Amino acid sequence: MRNLFNFIIRNSHWLVAILLVAFSFYLVFAQNAYQRSVYLTSANHVTGWLYTVSGNVSSFFLLKKNNQELMARNAQLEKELHAGIAQIDSLHTDEMIGINAFMPDSANHVQFGFIPAEVVNLSFSGVNNFITINKGRNQGIKPDMGVISQRGVVGVVANVSANFAVVIPVIHSKFRLSARLKHSENYGSLSWDGRNIREAQIQELPRHEMFRKGDTVLTSFSRIFPRNLIIGCVSSIGRSKDDNFNTFNVELATDFYTLQDVLVIDDRFYEEQKALEEMFQQ
Amino acid sequence: MKVSSLYEVLLFVLLILLQVLLLSRISLFGLATPVLYGYFLLKLPVGRNPFFVIISAFLMGLIIDIFLNTPGMNAAAITLVAMFRKPLMGLFFEKEEYEDFVPGMNTAAAPFVRFTLFTVFLHLTLLYFIESFTLFNLVNTLLRIITSAVSSILLIIAIDSLIYRRKSGEQS
Repeated sequence: MRNLFNFIIRNSHWLVAILLVAFSFYLVFAQNAYQRSVYLTSANHVTGWLYTVSGNVSSFFLLKKNNQELMARNAQLEKELHAGIAQIDSLHTDEMIGINAFMPDSANHVQFGFIPAEVVNLSFSGVNNFITINKGRNQGIKPDMGVISQRGVVGVVANVSANFAVVIPVIHSKFRLSARLKHSENYGSLSWDGRNIREAQIQELPRHEMFRKGDTVLTSFSRIFPRNLIIGCVSSIGRSKDDNFNTFNVELATDFYTLQDVLVIDDRFYEEQKALEEMFQQ
Repeated sequence: MKVSSLYEVLLFVLLILLQVLLLSRISLFGLATPVLYGYFLLKLPVGRNPFFVIISAFLMGLIIDIFLNTPGMNAAAITLVAMFRKPLMGLFFEKEEYEDFVPGMNTAAAPFVRFTLFTVFLHLTLLYFIESFTLFNLVNTLLRIITSAVSSILLIIAIDSLIYRRKSGEQS
């Protein structure tokens, strides 16, 4: 008996190690991106603060490039604005005046609001990458909101704390999004194979779907993103698991290496649509 | 004793910051990511209490996991490495070495390099296989282990020779 006790005491550090490893593996396998505690992610106060400091430093070096992108975007929007004004002017004829009385308040029809946020941390070295942004529950961010950059789709909000949120980007092994090519209505599923952070795959497109290099890939039906947002462009044909379907490699529009500013999409009809759809699933 | 424990705390914090803020954002050729925080285990004295080694390794892994949003992966890998630290040390260093002998390029270069090689390869193999439970791709995983291990080992040896050459120069 004494020998047994001696053995246990002499080797108790192995026991502690095994317990700690078991706990770690529990964390690995119990991970569920939507229900995980905020304390064990980079959305908690301390990590969020540290990443804000380091994000401030690195964003300084990217100021020039971001400015140029903003200018380009501005120019684009201004062009569209003028085109829009011109179109409205052309509609303003005398017979419209009579109908104006029935026109509802246009403000009610804005479905999507945008909340600007800054990236404070970004990982892209593994297969399960995350982005931390500096807006959270207090600024109106909720889980399942879409996130875009000036160039295209970024990801979906997974976890929210008071002032920070964690986003699952396109370059995460569990990310799925329905997408289509610009010239057709067939949609497939966008995912990432974990190899190259500039390239994702669009799968399950019908066999007859043709593509040319550089074809634009847009979002299709989704609860999270508006339709026709740019995801990227087709770069080559990929390996397909199934003979009936095609897989294409998609060069992502968003450059995750230098991502700094993002917009979180606030869909005002999200709850309504979700409630309605769930009513029929039961 | 006091100075050396302060030095260990400093090393602990600095390695975490270095890993989280700089090294984990590197992805050479889309493959190699230097993983340097295992250096902490290499620099502990040979005769250090195994409880201390294992628990500090686990805490380090957990803190890095929290920063990188990889729950449990780094913690599991580094705790397993800490478990096998003692048997591994027995392979490379003389048994009758002093209790507070610290391995390093300045004290025993050849055994230290071999010890580093084994420890880093063990650590990265564990880390990437735990990570690839979620997405299995053997060739890619092996490539990542090899490239990351080579870059980490080179960095560790370079940093170790730099720091300790200056230190021993001051002493002499």
